[in-house]
Amino acid sequence: MEPEEFYQSLAIDKSPLQALRFNPYYLPLGGLRHGRPQLEGETYFDLASNDYLGLASDPRVHQAMTEGIREYGASMCGTPIATGYARILAELERQLARFTGLEAALVFPSCYQANVALFSCIAKPQDVILVDHYAHASLGQGIKAVGCKIKPFLHNDMEHLERQLAATAGFRQVFVVTESVFSTEGSIAPLGVIVDLCGRYHAIPVVDDSHGIGVLGKTGRGILEEKAIANYRGIYTASLGKALGNAGGMIAGNHLLVDALRYSCPGLIYSTALPPACAGGVLCALEIIRHEFGRIGAAMRENHRRLLETLRRRQFDLRSGPAPIAALHGGSAENTISLAREFFHHRILTTPFVPPSVPGGKGVLRLILGAKLDDEGLQGLMRAMDSLSPPESAPPIPVNYNVSTLPAGAGAPAGSVRETHGFS
Amino acid sequence: MKIEEKIIAIIQSNTEAKEGITLRSNLRQDLRLDSFGILMVINALEDTFAIALAEADFARVNTVGDVVSLLRGKYACA
Repeated sequence: MEPEEFYQSLAIDKSPLQALRFNPYYLPLGGLRHGRPQLEGETYFDLASNDYLGLASDPRVHQAMTEGIREYGASMCGTPIATGYARILAELERQLARFTGLEAALVFPSCYQANVALFSCIAKPQDVILVDHYAHASLGQGIKAVGCKIKPFLHNDMEHLERQLAATAGFRQVFVVTESVFSTEGSIAPLGVIVDLCGRYHAIPVVDDSHGIGVLGKTGRGILEEKAIANYRGIYTASLGKALGNAGGMIAGNHLLVDALRYSCPGLIYSTALPPACAGGVLCALEIIRHEFGRIGAAMRENHRRLLETLRRRQFDLRSGPAPIAALHGGSAENTISLAREFFHHRILTTPFVPPSVPGGKGVLRLILGAKLDDEGLQGLMRAMDSLSPPESAPPIPVNYNVSTLPAGAGAPAGSVRETHGFS
Repeated sequence: MKIEEKIIAIIQSNTEAKEGITLRSNLRQDLRLDSFGILMVINALEDTFAIALAEADFARVNTVGDVVSLLRGKYACA
């Protein structure tokens, strides 16, 4: 293939977005003003990011990061196994293990990287991995890379999971993989039941708590606290870039597992370490959560309640689970993006999920309010939401194009091993 | 139970597609099964009929009727 032909074969058809005159992806946002992002001189309400507790804009976190830069510079410019393992990174690993109640923890540059790298290090071709149908694309990619038997189970369906577990005789090791909070619908995994089933069938549970850490549990410790799971003997991963307000990812659990990954996980040892300033920011965030989760968590839940109340009053098709995530049913890809456009026109940023990141016809518009806004901001948001057009009178959408050509956008990248739920 | 009914029952109990499944239903377009959805069907067929399905065989399968033909032909299931 000639280079020109090759590059042409990669071209994405953006005509659907052009027809809508709206592209919700890769918006070049400006800096925050009063906690709100800017775009082309306008100030927006951010209901798209995963900053549940508002810690990304907390001055104390900024100060901690500034001190990290002063002490260590912008980056250690090395892999953790070589010269990238700053003292503050070691401290963060200790504190993350303490925070989650697990033996040991390891910090990665991102949770996506951690999830993709994990399974090739712990599983072998003679193993079987059972995975929730809606698990994140990074888990799917990591699992596929092992080359072992994969048995997906219906989303949060414990009867289906047990049927799959009952048919795992003869495999060397069984793993059961799930997320704590499924971020496109706000459902929460019944992890206590999963852990019990794993115990019964000698399987290792693996949970990605990216949307649970700093959100779930009485003190914000995540899914293990939420489900009162003591002495968790499975594997735990999480993002440090959501409620913890920063960047990076983690894997935690048994100290032998963590030590093995520390010396053998290519996704860790061949990648430049998380910048020390980020480690400082996360350490500060953990301290804030320790001391203030009662207040901030209550604000997050109250804001979410008000958001749901407004959306219901405005007659949006709400499909939310128990997590503080509002999921609006968008139907087709074009209607979902049209819905996002309606919010955008009222200066509200949302996240539209369209195929391939969700099943066909099941587009979702996700809104996460969190604890970011003060009373004045919240009142402004509610006024903006009151002026939204009701769903049935949304502007008509052109129908003479092929929705299957929509870019993956809010989903897994093209060629992903997993179609649904690719976005975090 | 005929193999056709058996396969439709397997799809119903192992995917989110529950209603209106016929031999003409396209697994991907009508039943909207993604790669993990297809995998759930393959695993359930393997467990039920005690066979090992080659993924390459399933790549050519489009409809529920194609599944019946594949299992009846290459795998001699009844």
